[in-house]
Amino acid sequence: MASLARAYGKLLAALICAITVAWVLVLIVVPIGAMLEQSLWWRESGGDITLSIDRLYNEIAVIELDANTATDPAKRAAIESTLEQKRTEIATLEAQETNPPKMYGLANFTRMSSLHLYIFVRTIFYALLVTLLAFIVCYPIAYAVALASGPRKTVILTVALIVPYAINELLRVYAWLMILDYRGVINGLLAWAGFIDLDAREWIPFLENPSAVFLAMIYTYVLFMVFPMVNTLETLDRNQIEAARDLGASTWRIHRRVIIPHAKPGIAVGCIMTFMLSAGSYSVPVIMTRGQGGDWFSQLVYRQFYESNNWNMGSAYAVSLLVVCTAFILIMMRLFGVGLRDIAK
Amino acid sequence: MSTATESPAARLVLNIYVGLFCLYLFLPLAVMSAAAFNAYPYPSVTQWQGFTLEWFVALAHDQRLLKGLLNSVIVALGVIAVSIPAGLAGALILTRLSERSGTFLYSVLVSPVLTPGIILGISSLIFWREFGVPGGLFVAVMAQSSFIASYAMLLFLARLQRQDRTLEEAALDLGARHTLVFRRITLPFLAPTAFTAAVVAFLQSFENYNTTVFAIGGEWTLVTEIASRLRFGLSPVINVVGVIFVVLTLLAASAYVVLKGKPKR
Repeated sequence: MASLARAYGKLLAALICAITVAWVLVLIVVPIGAMLEQSLWWRESGGDITLSIDRLYNEIAVIELDANTATDPAKRAAIESTLEQKRTEIATLEAQETNPPKMYGLANFTRMSSLHLYIFVRTIFYALLVTLLAFIVCYPIAYAVALASGPRKTVILTVALIVPYAINELLRVYAWLMILDYRGVINGLLAWAGFIDLDAREWIPFLENPSAVFLAMIYTYVLFMVFPMVNTLETLDRNQIEAARDLGASTWRIHRRVIIPHAKPGIAVGCIMTFMLSAGSYSVPVIMTRGQGGDWFSQLVYRQFYESNNWNMGSAYAVSLLVVCTAFILIMMRLFGVGLRDIAK
Repeated sequence: MSTATESPAARLVLNIYVGLFCLYLFLPLAVMSAAAFNAYPYPSVTQWQGFTLEWFVALAHDQRLLKGLLNSVIVALGVIAVSIPAGLAGALILTRLSERSGTFLYSVLVSPVLTPGIILGISSLIFWREFGVPGGLFVAVMAQSSFIASYAMLLFLARLQRQDRTLEEAALDLGARHTLVFRRITLPFLAPTAFTAAVVAFLQSFENYNTTVFAIGGEWTLVTEIASRLRFGLSPVINVVGVIFVVLTLLAASAYVVLKGKPKR
């Protein structure tokens, strides 16, 4: 802090600190904290309370009937007092019903139904698979862009990669939707070739298959894998490859012992980004499946907030997702021996 | 200039693979663009019913999409206003902190980039409801800024690492006031980066969906409006939006190549 004040003066230093603190608190830490807090409580709006209220009303109705027929004043007073008692009981219960007490605990996490838990696990598994496939698809591309082409071709290739990357994620998904839809391009071509008849609704339902989400997801996030890998591979001295080859190493061995070790930070970053984006993706599954394929976990989270209106449950789902993503990042950083500073490059 | 480290056969395979990959990247976009000009009311390229511009006209009359476009621009400008000062302040502090004490702050400031977008949207939605602010454009600005400010900070950090600090120190030694030094030396040095950061912030904000859809509540941006239409059916009007995006991106990319290509020659 002292060096900040020396460089920019007390006033500016204070302003800089204030802005940074505001950023950390208002945009990052407190909102995440609020979400965590929201996930840890719920309101006991049980059907039990409603039932007891209904029962009390019934009892009152019966007692009132008694009160009307009772002639003995002492008995009548006794009935009145029980009536009063029941009425206050109803009042407290109704207050509880409209504003149930907050209960703290982990119930939002443990209450996740087995179907939702299955979707959660499946989403994580699919995201891992997307990450792995994206890596396999990207490695040759990153290698070609960074090492195997001349500078001119590299510029062209880089632009060729940046253009689709810069186009809106949704529109990229939409392009695949058009291709795989019932009356989409592939079914259209099949109909044109005479294999199927669209008028008889004989199309192939690609969109009802989870692999449609897969295809579009790899298409959407593959470039987040390419760029970090290209960045690290570009710093590899090509002479190292030449030297290895001159010393008789096979192509496979060169990749395994020279190129991949050098690309490690890039691979880690690419995997982290791809996993994080696909595990938390809402756009791709919601557009590709349109409710016909299997749900992705993010869709469940959205419904908790905007359809069931159960923010506590929704927060618990979101926290679960955040925990898995954080764990993945930490594991990757450990495995590949990279720090956070390498990641953000 | 290329290094001939592979056998010709391996080179050929690699080239074919790169070619196929580019096809994979561009063919869907080409299909989407072509369908925008098809007179058929369902976006298609296989059922060609003649060239038309009627979907462009339909877009020009689509009030919800136009309002969404306006909202997108408002949100993006708001994000620039929040994230550029925040990113700059964060970068200035980090360059003055020692490696050790800086790492923790750095981790916190970079963490939103590594957080799934829907979580940023959800946490902002919950946080601002505490203050009685429902989901809408403001919450969308805040949610997006949380990670876009990190990108801005990374850009500023990279620039500050190349800064010659002796210049500022010399000015201070010669008796210039801190504010003057900041205004006349530091800010001009950072101005090009601030511009780049603003462009990046605008683009990131404009095309963001996963964060925005949670934070936007009952309002809508261009992108969330497109998404909600796609759930009910396809329309060539969306393809027109796609064409406009593709053309703008291609123009920007060509400008980039021309500018970048010149000094290299």
